[in-house]
Amino acid sequence: MRALRGVDFDLAAGEVHALLGENGAGKSTLIKVVTGAHAPDAGEITVAGRTVHGLTPTLAQQLGIACIYQQPALFPDLTVAENIGLRLEHGGATRRIDWPARRARTADLLARVGATIDPEAEVNELSMPEQQLVEIACSVGAGARIVIMDEPTASLTQREQGRLFTVVRELRTAGVGVVYISHRLEEIFALADRVTVLRDGASVGTHPVAAMKEADLIKLMVGREVAQLYPPAEAPPGDVVLDLKAIGCTASGVRGVTLELRTGEIFGLAGLVGAGRTELARVLFGLTPADSGEIRLNGRRVVIPSPRQAIELGIAYVPEDRRRHGVILEMPIAQNMTMAVHRTIFPRGWLRDGAEEALALDFIRTLAVKCAGPDAPGGTLSGGNQQKVSLARWLATKPRVLILDEPTQGVDVGAKSEIHRIIRRLAKDGLAVLMISSDLPEVLGMSDRIGVMRGGALATVLPGGSDAHTVMAAALGQETNKGAA
Amino acid sequence: MSAPDAPAGWKRLFLRYEMLLFAALVAEWLLFHYFGTTTNRRGVVVGFGTMDRQFDILRHSCEIGLLALALTPIIITAGIDLSVGSLLGLCAILFGKLWFDGGLPIPVAAGLTLLIGALAGGLNAGLITGLRLPPLIVTLGTYSLFRGLAEAITHGAVTYTDFPTSFLFVGQERWLGLPVQAWLFALVAVAVWLLVHRTVFGRSFRAIGFSPEGARYAGLPVGRRVALAYVLAGLIAALAAIIYTARLGQAKADAGTGYELFAITAVVLGGTSIFGGKGSVTGTLLGVALIAVLKSGLATLPIVIRLNAAEEISGLLTGALLLAALTGSVLPKILSSLRSHRQAG
Amino acid sequence: MKRHFRELSVTATLLLVLLGMAVFAPAFFQPQPLLSLVTREAPTLIVACGMALVIICRQIDISVGSQFSVCGIGAGLLAARGWPLPLVIGAAVGLGAVLGAINGWLVAGLRLPSIVVTLATMVTLRQGLNLGQQGAFVNLPDKVQWFGLNQSAGQWVLVLCSLAVLATLGLALRHWPAGRQVYAVGSNAEAARLAGIRPQWVTFLVFVLLGALTGLAAIMNVVQSPQVQPLAGAGLELKVIAAVVVGGVAIAGGRGNLWGAFAGLLLLACVSPALTHLHIEAYWEKAIQGAIILLAVVADGVRQRRSGP
Repeated sequence: MRALRGVDFDLAAGEVHALLGENGAGKSTLIKVVTGAHAPDAGEITVAGRTVHGLTPTLAQQLGIACIYQQPALFPDLTVAENIGLRLEHGGATRRIDWPARRARTADLLARVGATIDPEAEVNELSMPEQQLVEIACSVGAGARIVIMDEPTASLTQREQGRLFTVVRELRTAGVGVVYISHRLEEIFALADRVTVLRDGASVGTHPVAAMKEADLIKLMVGREVAQLYPPAEAPPGDVVLDLKAIGCTASGVRGVTLELRTGEIFGLAGLVGAGRTELARVLFGLTPADSGEIRLNGRRVVIPSPRQAIELGIAYVPEDRRRHGVILEMPIAQNMTMAVHRTIFPRGWLRDGAEEALALDFIRTLAVKCAGPDAPGGTLSGGNQQKVSLARWLATKPRVLILDEPTQGVDVGAKSEIHRIIRRLAKDGLAVLMISSDLPEVLGMSDRIGVMRGGALATVLPGGSDAHTVMAAALGQETNKGAA
Repeated sequence: MSAPDAPAGWKRLFLRYEMLLFAALVAEWLLFHYFGTTTNRRGVVVGFGTMDRQFDILRHSCEIGLLALALTPIIITAGIDLSVGSLLGLCAILFGKLWFDGGLPIPVAAGLTLLIGALAGGLNAGLITGLRLPPLIVTLGTYSLFRGLAEAITHGAVTYTDFPTSFLFVGQERWLGLPVQAWLFALVAVAVWLLVHRTVFGRSFRAIGFSPEGARYAGLPVGRRVALAYVLAGLIAALAAIIYTARLGQAKADAGTGYELFAITAVVLGGTSIFGGKGSVTGTLLGVALIAVLKSGLATLPIVIRLNAAEEISGLLTGALLLAALTGSVLPKILSSLRSHRQAG
Repeated sequence: MKRHFRELSVTATLLLVLLGMAVFAPAFFQPQPLLSLVTREAPTLIVACGMALVIICRQIDISVGSQFSVCGIGAGLLAARGWPLPLVIGAAVGLGAVLGAINGWLVAGLRLPSIVVTLATMVTLRQGLNLGQQGAFVNLPDKVQWFGLNQSAGQWVLVLCSLAVLATLGLALRHWPAGRQVYAVGSNAEAARLAGIRPQWVTFLVFVLLGALTGLAAIMNVVQSPQVQPLAGAGLELKVIAAVVVGGVAIAGGRGNLWGAFAGLLLLACVSPALTHLHIEAYWEKAIQGAIILLAVVADGVRQRRSGP
């Protein structure tokens, strides 16, 4: 699969250029190419009139390209001053460090980005936004000419946001080119000079922000025809299986989620990355147990303190990160498939190869897993087939509620529609499916109802068959009528 | 499936690592048999090629073999336990004390010793899984603690001797043609083999060793399973202590000093990955045999006898063997990364 | 204050122990025995400095005891052959550096886990030494002991020398970019790479430095007696790791300093004389050391759990 297809992107000095697109539209790949982490297989990069070949991270730094990632790459055990010093002061391993100067410089840089952080504080004591500000201070200190900010406001409060905007505007005044990636349209209108919209790895146009309306932008982002055909719902949903009342979890930032899930229903959960969808799934699966609200399963009130408990209650979770959480790559498919059902398939604790193989062969057949056999290690399979193995593991538990987290991410088109058919069939067989997906057409095409999450809360529930525009607007936090105007 | 790579044909079977080890073991044995067997002046065969020597090898390998069996599940979960040798010493002392000073009958003392071993393993397990401390530093601490307690209890000098012959039978006599402790060892080996290869516990050890997060997402009780491995190790170390005492007829504080190294070497040599996940009990047993034959065989070589340095040479070779096994285990990874590097560059 | 909580608490405990000794066993503070005690610990301090660096870098080396013995015997043999003392010192330090480089190459070059690598080199070196030496002591020429000075002058030289190493390394670790890079690698190797530091190279160098310091410590031990014992370094690794960990150097890397390691070492060094003076049997020393290590890591674990998520 190609993540980027012939994207033209230019950035002028003293400009804030916003980059907009759905999850998976190719923004992060574009960043990686520009910072030298990925080598492009076609096209060229020109920095300040000089065409650069074979861009590496070091070369990118020398050229004055800095990137502020959502997850800061800092040293948690060291102080802020030290972190900035290690990044900015190069050469001379045995020259004496001038601590007062380092502190003064740090204090100055922090002041320039409007942060009130003690230079002597350890980074592991800082909040995520504070760490981000340290990163920004770092790139300011490095004298970067091009600063890329990847959703810098994702975890900032209103006040911190205002401060950040001031920093960005100051950078612009100083002649720095800023690539600003954000899902929040109001930020783009407040800050950016131009905006480029990416869709499916291609640019759908660069426009001056002044000439755009919010509605135009949303249209550009989602304006694709629903090309794929999705299997239709065949029967109306049945009884309520899972009933959440004001579920919250402080540690993971889930706030007051109330929703009902019915048998035979596919409930799509849309929202931007970091909106709290995976976090909600983790709460329901007992990985980060809820600390407020009420969960009812078939009308009975339950608590879910651990995954084990969740499995016993009939809740299954097919995780987003297949390679780390979904499938143990080194272990055979059959062992992966039975991993969550040790108790039922091996009731006395002894392994039963026959039963295991039968179960594996059964799933390999019904889910059409392409593999060398039940003994093939999970790592030898393609993404789509790994996903089917992960799915099989959870179907083996005979769940009542199936939570799917990005079920078709990184899966090729053929396997994708296969997985869609499987999901629909499962719902038809009476399973309640909660499907988290960032693939908007998938959510629209598959779901009987669509919940949209924003900032850890369930923002709205839309009926199935809603249009992309409405969902995207809800995810972005726009009033629906305003977006449609 | 007893092992993840069920043999698809004779080629797979013969190219398996265990077969390689077995071949090395046979070659080693033949070598020592050839060079280490002599006939003395009275025309009696002495040295490596005698039955007595073979029994001797079995006797000497039991304690280290037990510790290696104890370590196999732990290393499969990507953990380590440096304290097993010290625990052997502590248990030997406590066993002697319970019998000699406590006046308990041997079976009761042995039972209590096993319990103490399990509790000591539980201490490791609690600190590692309860407080999420790194196994390395926890067991380094208990390595010192257990040995220190053994020294403190005996004032560094007391040894318990004069055990009844009925007890020494376990360590010095034969039953059904084999040394008694070899039967015990075989029993434990079968039990650990079954645990690691035939039960859901072994399956969980593997999953945890490959990917603790993945195991957690699959709903496996990661903490409880890891704790089991350490408690089991304590129990087996206590059994090894009893056998050790029976073989030597005395219990002293320095029992089992340095055994953890031989045990870890046997496990790593047997193909268990120090990074967790991969490993087999059969491999561990072959590793133990390889080291035991080496140690005993060296002592029969004329040149080693002349140098009077069997202990040192076997120690040296064991250390070198461990280094070679470690290097060998990462060699494919390094080669493939070099290759991909060259392709990318 | 909060940052140096651990160093301060160890120092406070040390002072408390010393105070207790002053009250219950004032004989402890007689100048000559005290000087002897400090002199005996001087080589350990030097190894502890190197070990602190290795642990800050998120590695461990349990072969230092064997390295210490090998360097000591090597130096003794050269001295017995009549090599001049400065050359012997240089040779011991160089030998230590080579041994450290072997560990460093296996750990940083082949990316093997340091615990198992150094376990293997520990036993290989130890048994190699036993094989070569058969437990025999090496007799030294007269002028070697106390560098040819009288005893108390020699003791002062050793103590001052070890303090000088402590101060130099402590300052370098605090005030040189090279020192801070060790913290950076131990704290987050990936971020270090992004900041232009070469983590594998830093790891290799700390092992070499530890080896060289162990060689130096071995010499400082050699000059204290008329003979060199092959078993001189047995168990040294444990003592040193205990001192470093007790002094607040986190086994997970990136935290701690040499002052803490120094205080930790003094605290542990007080255990044995304190036991004697308080009429507790000396056999408890090892058990108490083990308990102190466990206490220190448990305290860290509990503190991290409370501050963590």
